[in-house]
Amino acid sequence: MAVSWLSALAARGSVPVYPAVGPAMADQVRRLALEPDLELVSTPRLASVLLVAGVVPSSADVALRRVHAQLPRPCGTLWYRSRPFPELDHPQVVDAPELIPGALRELHRVVLHSPRDQEPMLLPDAPPAPFEGRGDHGQGGEGMMGGMPYGRPMAMTADDLRDGLALDAIDFTLGPFFRGLPPGLVLELRVQGDVVQQCTVQAPPYAEPVAAPFLQALERPVPIVALELARARHHLRRLADALDLAGLDALGRRLLRAAAGLVLGQRLRWLRPMLKGSGLLASVGAGRGVLSDTQASEIGGSAARAAGLSIDARMGDRGYAQLGFEPIVQPRGKEVAGDIRARWRQWLDEIDQSLRLAAHAADIDAHTAKIGVVEGPGGRLATDQPLPDTGPVLETLLPGCEWNQALAVIASLPLAAAATPGAEAGA
Amino acid sequence: MDLLILAVIALSALALGLLVQRPRPGAALPPWPARTTYLGGGEPATHAWNRFHVRYYPMTLLLIAFEMEMMFMYPWAVVYVAEGLKALVEMGMFLAILGVGILYAWREGALRWQ
Repeated sequence: MAVSWLSALAARGSVPVYPAVGPAMADQVRRLALEPDLELVSTPRLASVLLVAGVVPSSADVALRRVHAQLPRPCGTLWYRSRPFPELDHPQVVDAPELIPGALRELHRVVLHSPRDQEPMLLPDAPPAPFEGRGDHGQGGEGMMGGMPYGRPMAMTADDLRDGLALDAIDFTLGPFFRGLPPGLVLELRVQGDVVQQCTVQAPPYAEPVAAPFLQALERPVPIVALELARARHHLRRLADALDLAGLDALGRRLLRAAAGLVLGQRLRWLRPMLKGSGLLASVGAGRGVLSDTQASEIGGSAARAAGLSIDARMGDRGYAQLGFEPIVQPRGKEVAGDIRARWRQWLDEIDQSLRLAAHAADIDAHTAKIGVVEGPGGRLATDQPLPDTGPVLETLLPGCEWNQALAVIASLPLAAAATPGAEAGA
Repeated sequence: MDLLILAVIALSALALGLLVQRPRPGAALPPWPARTTYLGGGEPATHAWNRFHVRYYPMTLLLIAFEMEMMFMYPWAVVYVAEGLKALVEMGMFLAILGVGILYAWREGALRWQ
């Protein structure tokens, strides 16, 4: 009786959803954060509904099963434009983005009202390695550090980057569905305490679609208004991700709302004081994640301009020249150029600049003149775009960072490849 | 009487607490895959039991050292009025030596948070 009363109460509350985001779905999932009674939680342990968005590549199938297994029972899974596990008898499938919120709420209600109809556990219920009954105390081996308690070997001492105080190093792989990383990114990490000692990129992030105006600009002149508003929206969303990561999800939602409702003529004057007051910039410290000049020019885009390099595909465009466009470059002065904060500041500056350019371009109806190359939201976008290899950058930037800084480095870089129509077909 | 009431309250709170958190006989542990660390689909290579350095300990030692110094100041404060300038100069010398100690620890990086 009491349990049914409690589940009825829980069913009326907000729906805790853990999104497992597949290729080209990050933006659609981000939109769900603005739904009033959905809550995108940061770990599956807090969720009652798993949302699988997009077709997950077969290499990530086991990872998805692990995430699925970590939802506390009773739970449900909603498959949005995805391939459900063949073992599920009646998978909940949805194909239209506008139906997702309703389907999630309904699934949550069903899960809480009939907890007996549980989704089966799809992984074998066994420890990762046999250990029970072995050793003097059944701990799985001999001696204090020997054996495999609970099926995993004990962490062993290794050198530390900082000083001689070396103790146990923990190795693990993270991703591809970890909420703090871009979808698809798999990192193999070694940490001591909370400091990253070593990082290897096992799989790059999934390619993300670029806003339509940028793709159109590759083929024909387009109004600069559309391009610049799309750029401002992109930067707002990336800043929202960074706020979300710092635990400031309410402020993140405010930015997402601003991005969704961005129209010509807005200036977003509240943005800079709000970010300054949020403590986001202060939280990561100065001088972390500094790109070298070679790395910055390889990545290009706003990350290069944040490192003090004047690289911008808009510079040679007659349409932009009409508007008196000059790229914004972070000064190489007393602030450390090219660090995490410089990249976030660069986004802020470029949001301002894009809104100004858009307003000016609307007055004189300016169009782009160059075709085949465009300054995309993450960097240079061309028809013959080679996929950037972001692995080496992370592998050099992350070691030495504390955990929050490491995640902030990742959140401040354009890591996901731009999915142009050609690239999407190959993915 | 008051003590008795307090004891009854404490004991009944304890009993209630134990009763509430007593493991239910039929309840099983969650299955193995559900018990592992959350890594977004990744896997830990090692067990979660691990030793790491409490890196603030030089700072802790420094704090204790300077707190002990305060103990010398209590008797000093008692005789200060009687002894006058001489006591002030002596305490000044003592604090100056300690101050050099702080500067040394600072130079050695003991105050750097890591």
